Amino acid sequence: MHHTPDGLLRRLLDEPAGVPDPERAHVAGCERCLDRLAAVRADADRAGAALRVPTDHGQDDGAAWDRLAAAAAAQAGAGAAPEPGRAPRRAPLRGAPRRAPLRGALRRPAVAAAAFALALAGAGTAAANDWLQVFRTEQVVPVALGTEDLVELPDLTAYGEVRSTSQPQVHRVASAAAAAEETGLDVPEATVLPPGVGGQPEWQAGGEASATFTFSADRAARAAAATGADLPPVPPGLDGTSVRLDAGPGVAAVWSQPSGVPSLLVGRAVAPTAYSDGVPFEQVRDYLLGLPGLPADLAAQLRGFTADGTTLPLPVPADAVTTTTAEVAGAPATVLETRDRALAAVVWVQDGVLTAVAGALDADEVLAVARGLR
Amino acid sequence: MAVAPQHAGVRPDLEEVFRRDYRRVVAVAARVLGRRDEAEDVAQEVFLSFARSTVPAAGAGGWLCVAAAHTALNLLRSGRRRASREERAAGPAAPPVPDVADTVLEREERRRVRAALARLPRPQAVALVLRHSGLSYAEVAAALDLSPGSVGTTVRRAESRLREEMDDDAPHP
Repeated sequence: MHHTPDGLLRRLLDEPAGVPDPERAHVAGCERCLDRLAAVRADADRAGAALRVPTDHGQDDGAAWDRLAAAAAAQAGAGAAPEPGRAPRRAPLRGAPRRAPLRGALRRPAVAAAAFALALAGAGTAAANDWLQVFRTEQVVPVALGTEDLVELPDLTAYGEVRSTSQPQVHRVASAAAAAEETGLDVPEATVLPPGVGGQPEWQAGGEASATFTFSADRAARAAAATGADLPPVPPGLDGTSVRLDAGPGVAAVWSQPSGVPSLLVGRAVAPTAYSDGVPFEQVRDYLLGLPGLPADLAAQLRGFTADGTTLPLPVPADAVTTTTAEVAGAPATVLETRDRALAAVVWVQDGVLTAVAGALDADEVLAVARGLR
Repeated sequence: MAVAPQHAGVRPDLEEVFRRDYRRVVAVAARVLGRRDEAEDVAQEVFLSFARSTVPAAGAGGWLCVAAAHTALNLLRSGRRRASREERAAGPAAPPVPDVADTVLEREERRRVRAALARLPRPQAVALVLRHSGLSYAEVAAALDLSPGSVGTTVRRAESRLREEMDDDAPHP
């Protein structure tokens, strides 16, 4: 004799309308199914009691939203722009491989500030008619940006043309060995994993990203006029000067939870370099930093440490992220942590290669991972 | 009505989805963890993940609940019951509120529930939590990519298994 399956008995408790009429009629007249229904109900009640949510003692949605907004903005400000896909898969730090085209990245104000600084970092007078390297990242220094700076920062395209000449085409690869073979990088191997992070990571690799910024006196004049200011006299030779920015290739290992929430990322990429087609860079830097539209204190910070042409400024929203310094593998490292302790990252440069460890961890945990890399 | 400032790089529908689904996401995680403070941490992780995704806002509810259940179960299973991040924050933390109802016996019962939940097969645990969080059979089916007809079976097996696990873990007289 047919009896009602357990699954339908269970649904009868919650959504009787979802159970076909003949089954309901059967249960009503079947002693055995009624007994089973009682057992199903007892288990359901017990599970319900066991899973009862603790009393809500004044849950503050407003504070929770403020916390989330700050963390999300910090991620965006640190370079983790939204990307297609069900789950986040990449570093909240600049320098790690990204799917977003560099052109798009350069349009974001915070990144534009870094690109600005890259373009301005001086290294003497380059010879004309040739691309000479004028910038090579040897260290990373955070630049504090206030919220008002993020609002005020000009878009790089306001001062010239930004053209993406090569996109990294970040993609999944089968293993660390495949990532190493494809990029030529020494792929970092994590020997220390924080509690709660385990299993095998997903590996990603990307090629070199390259973009060219060509200064335009006309555009700069229009940008200045838009702010109600006059463009300072353009130094001879600056109009039409191009700076090419290269970064990558890069690799990343991402440990994710089944929900898609990334718990840890270890990324490594050839650090950004900049090449000029020939202008005295100290002059260019001083000129661009004096343009209307760039917040004065930000300009002062950039002017203060870009003289040697080896320091990559890392824009950091000061109201959401704290920065400290540490040492990793003998190199100075920058440690970033969101003020709500939701995310932390450490980034350092060694021999022209930038390495980042980031995740939903605290600063001690990312440092432990970083120091345990082989 | 004041309009909150839009953060650069943050998807524009984040606040709308957060306001709509936050409490439900916390409730899902709290059913797994038995603690609201940790559940709120999990909800933050889940919404950050959503913020970086292209999941459509209209269909985000199920996605967020499943993500909350998985994330909370991971936390439970890893034994990574670390202190709430707010408690570790440098700023002034809210003082712990003594809970007179939180007796030793209740704590023990709560521990047994979480231990049992952690031993359930993952699909059963998630379906159980989602159903007891108020999701309909159709919503659970859509969120877990199950046929609606199999939701009752999965939930029933989960509840039966939870009882067995809790009884196995019960202190013997």
